[in-house]
Amino acid sequence: MDKIIEKQSLIGKRVTKLDAPDKAVARTRYINDMVLPRMLFGKILRTDRVHAHIVSIDASAAEALPGVAAVITAKDTPGGKIGVLRDNPPLKTDTVRCIRDEIAAVAADSEEICDEAIRLIKVEYDDLPTVFDCTEALAAGAPIIHEDCPDNIAMEQNFEHGDMAAGEAASDYIVEGEYNVHYVAHCNMGVSCTLADYDTDGRVTIYTQTQYPFNVKMDIAPSLGVHPGDVRIIQPPVGGAFGSKLDVYPYEPICVFLAKKTRRPVKLIYSREEEFIASPTRQPVEFKIRAGMKKDGTLTFRDCDSLLNNGGYTSWGATTPYVTMRTMTSHYTVPNVKYRARAVYTNNPFAGSFRGYGNVQATWALETHMDKMAETIGMDPVAFRLKNANPPNEITPQGSNLGCIDLTGCIKQAAERSDFLNKWHENNKGWDSSERFRRGIGIATSLHNAGGAKIHKSDGCGTMLKMDDYARVTIITGGSEIGQGLDTVLAQLVSEELGVPMRDVTIINNDSALRPWDVGVHASRTTYIAGNSAIRVARKAREQILKAAASHTNMTHEMLDLRQGYVVQAESGLALMPLDKILRQMHFAGEDAELVMATDYYEPPSEPEDKDHMGDMSAAYSHAAHVAEIVVDTKLGAITVEKIWSAQDVGRVINPVGLEGQIEGGIAMGLGYALSEELKIVEGKVLNPSFRDYHVMTAPEMPEFDLTFIETGDAEGPAGAKGIAELPTIVIAPAIGNALYNATGVRIDHPPLTPEKVARAIAEKNGRL
Amino acid sequence: MSLTQKIIFTLNGKPVQADAQVTASALELLRGAFELGGTKLACGEGECGACTIIVDGRSRNSCLLPAVDLDGREVLTVEGLWSEDGIDPVQQAFIDEGAIQCGFCTPGMIMQTKYLLSKNPRMTPEEIERGLEGNVCRCTGYKKIISAVAAASAVAAE
Amino acid sequence: MLPQNKRPPDIGEYVAASSVDAAIDALADGQGTALAGGTDLWAQKDSGNGRLRQRLVNISRVSELCGIAEVAGKIRIGALTTISEILESPLLNEKVPLLPQMANRFAAPQIRNAATIGGNIANASPAADAVLPLIGLGTSVELRSKRETRFLPLSGFFKGPGNTQMTADELITAIEFETPPGNFHGVFCKSGPRPALEISMVAMCLTGLLEGGKLSNPRLVFGAVGPTPICCEKTEAMIDGKTISDDLIASALDLMATEIAPIDDFRASKWYRTQMARTFLEAELIACR
Repeated sequence: MDKIIEKQSLIGKRVTKLDAPDKAVARTRYINDMVLPRMLFGKILRTDRVHAHIVSIDASAAEALPGVAAVITAKDTPGGKIGVLRDNPPLKTDTVRCIRDEIAAVAADSEEICDEAIRLIKVEYDDLPTVFDCTEALAAGAPIIHEDCPDNIAMEQNFEHGDMAAGEAASDYIVEGEYNVHYVAHCNMGVSCTLADYDTDGRVTIYTQTQYPFNVKMDIAPSLGVHPGDVRIIQPPVGGAFGSKLDVYPYEPICVFLAKKTRRPVKLIYSREEEFIASPTRQPVEFKIRAGMKKDGTLTFRDCDSLLNNGGYTSWGATTPYVTMRTMTSHYTVPNVKYRARAVYTNNPFAGSFRGYGNVQATWALETHMDKMAETIGMDPVAFRLKNANPPNEITPQGSNLGCIDLTGCIKQAAERSDFLNKWHENNKGWDSSERFRRGIGIATSLHNAGGAKIHKSDGCGTMLKMDDYARVTIITGGSEIGQGLDTVLAQLVSEELGVPMRDVTIINNDSALRPWDVGVHASRTTYIAGNSAIRVARKAREQILKAAASHTNMTHEMLDLRQGYVVQAESGLALMPLDKILRQMHFAGEDAELVMATDYYEPPSEPEDKDHMGDMSAAYSHAAHVAEIVVDTKLGAITVEKIWSAQDVGRVINPVGLEGQIEGGIAMGLGYALSEELKIVEGKVLNPSFRDYHVMTAPEMPEFDLTFIETGDAEGPAGAKGIAELPTIVIAPAIGNALYNATGVRIDHPPLTPEKVARAIAEKNGRL
Repeated sequence: MSLTQKIIFTLNGKPVQADAQVTASALELLRGAFELGGTKLACGEGECGACTIIVDGRSRNSCLLPAVDLDGREVLTVEGLWSEDGIDPVQQAFIDEGAIQCGFCTPGMIMQTKYLLSKNPRMTPEEIERGLEGNVCRCTGYKKIISAVAAASAVAAE
Repeated sequence: MLPQNKRPPDIGEYVAASSVDAAIDALADGQGTALAGGTDLWAQKDSGNGRLRQRLVNISRVSELCGIAEVAGKIRIGALTTISEILESPLLNEKVPLLPQMANRFAAPQIRNAATIGGNIANASPAADAVLPLIGLGTSVELRSKRETRFLPLSGFFKGPGNTQMTADELITAIEFETPPGNFHGVFCKSGPRPALEISMVAMCLTGLLEGGKLSNPRLVFGAVGPTPICCEKTEAMIDGKTISDDLIASALDLMATEIAPIDDFRASKWYRTQMARTFLEAELIACR
């Protein structure tokens, strides 16, 4: 009997993550679990000073300790410096500039011997004057952190659009505000870890948690004194990353130098305390915002000046203004905008990139400010935002075409589903009541790139595909899997094109010697960019197969389709032949033999910013609106988040399971930012380097979620999808702050909203302090 | 080198012996001598639950448990849940519910869930959340983990 | 920890004690450290604070030290009893629900499964949760050594952080308190954004005999507002047997604030610790009415 196979789509279906079974049964071997033959352990001696000259280092006792294979100091690491501005020597030569600075490193047979050897290294210092505050660091006569940077300004970005004076003149009201956002840590469950291995020909293999495997070759090579082509990067499974591994950090070249000196594999792994002290943080920022509007709420101008506490060295944290700027200039329609950011060297720890990349900070400041503006003219926060919401296809001041966005829909959905206005008006009435527990509701929104971000010359991703004689598909992708679910999305998209079960798709994504180039896993870009590349490569293979199949029929290849392991007649669904059979026929065809192999490099239609910060840097943009309903204990200051409504423009849902997981996890991270997480840094020292004193959210603290996906269907995105992973973390915090105000009339401009801070502010308001 | 002590115990149903360093934690012994890498080191201070194992029927942070104290005890690690007969319903629930992202907290979450279900196969949502309060996850926001425990709880209650 | 700050212990001898006698033999020369649940001891093992002496005496298998029983009007809890066992004990849930209530706010389940009541006392943390309700219950600590067995009241047991009346050759074997009468009232309050997994910024226990809205023989104990648990004796005297009026509450809060000695540190300010203490006491006094 003839077999009819209907077209069945996997897009939008709840699909189980491909890596989940191995992780559930602990078959997955993380980098932290890796052991290589003859492997040594490495450890780093870090300074306990924040700014000092190194007078001398005596490592002789450490070198003499049995079991120690090598001790290295700066004299053993003659290569260049690392970091965005190449200002950070892996081991410090004559000056330490912040508490985490690396002085020496040891390779030994065990971690215990490493520890003991570290304790035997004697370092003498001459302390130097210190500075920790941005404004003080900018003042004349401030201590100079880097001799070649006498004004302590590591980076500066300026942008202006429109006519600020005219904007100001057109304003009926001008609102000013200052917002200082804090240090937070990534808190990856898997601590930082790297393994390095040298071969006889001077090539090095680095097993690392990096999120940008190809550019890391270019960035690390000068510090090692090797050619970038001689660096092979392998990315074993990692216990989270969240942006923390988008740069080279000193431990990576240090580990390579230990391997080079000992000619043995070396594994260097942090302790949790070291992870807190010596990892990049989220960039702290001091914002000053001045913004104007007409009586009807129409925005007239926005001026934002920000200082970034850069710390001792420059990693990607200092570049977050490239994203912050987009929010400050382009979120809501504002005709006249001005933006300035300066990253200032101090003796604090330095920051790197972190999920949301500056937009978490910007959105806290902007969305708090928007609520203040709405209050100034007596508009409710929803109406004020709707009044100024960006329309689809708006060309922003920086030249981005926002495309098929739906900010209005996000705001309306979140507000309607949460019954926002009724609750908001009701809560506003009771600020003077003596009730201990007060209820509040708040809203916030943001804009983020959702189709990559062209911060390098290319924002592309390469993919290679092969099929075997049994119709098993192998995808070798440039995209990186860090637990977020790339493998699953790619398998789903490829399976859709080739009509094979997802389990028959194997994804290879972890070895720079095998994979084609990709810019890295960041900027909510991977599903969009790697996904598009995977679709394109699968379509090439599909065409190759269908053409071969068509030659056995009287149909053209356009009339055929691949479904459930068969070549079928597209219109009727009539099964013509099993897919594996046609593949074997193609393979064993004598002189005409062909294997199904295809390659693709996808470059998204975006452009890098020019020197004036103009350019449509992402292939897509999207928004999310969050509403948070909270209960405040006005005595103890504790905020309980009861429910969160999220409405996010996701383009199109590919896999609800993965999408929900990213949004729920992102919100949890944002809740920590809003409520409890703070790396307490006083005079350059980290006071709370443990989970005991650094509070990430736990299960009982999680609120109820109501998630709405708005499907705008991006024309360029894979199956219409947009990148989604950062917005959840970006939006939630100011919604909480705005809800606190709605509950109590107390406004806290500087997160986190810890119980003590809230209790103090309420006591102050009531004259009880 | 530091003092060692010979210990004999039951590990995932099999009798085993080891020379345990007196200063070592059970976590170090399991990951080291027994190559049971599923038990994760994430904080080493009893604050995150990634190293949770079950000892004599009770869940414990193996990072705070002296290796020598395993002597004579019954120890279950995540590796003991997967056998020829298939994977454990708790593991299946974590897979099915999408409770796994980076997966580093997963073995500890699964072991804590095994323990919680052994105490109470019919947990309320609040009991599930409280039962997991010593297990940190940085990826998922816990919602799907809580759903997985609820699903496993439904299986266990049958 | 950072390698340079580690001070790993130098343990020269390991004793797995099978009985109390064996344990106190091993501790007799003052060179041993008793190991029970390990949650405090092991967490601090590399900190170099000298808590681990050269002989490690594992008492975790001494069955004589286990169990919760009521004998002749007294409740006796073996030193090895874990916080989980307190939480789950039918006897305590029936007769002293204050202790399970505390246990429910004590750390995380995995820690509750390991931490022992004896260890929580011996560790003498100013923030030890279990100690507060035990003081409120009038608990005595049983200490055994080769020399003697003695009982000390828990209220005067602590001298400072990590420092108690115990001598180096002594072992806490049990605690005892009189079974509280039917009108006994006891509450345990604790700060922190999480239900339990939180080092106490402030914890409070208020106990007494509650009759007609009056609390007699009250005990008011605070944790984490001084170097040891602090008993607010003056405040206790002020409220003893009195009708709990708004004026009395206001006066009691002010007096209590003079009896506690909170500090400023990065976890909380003195102001906030005092605010917490006042909030807990106010709420619990109102609840007594």
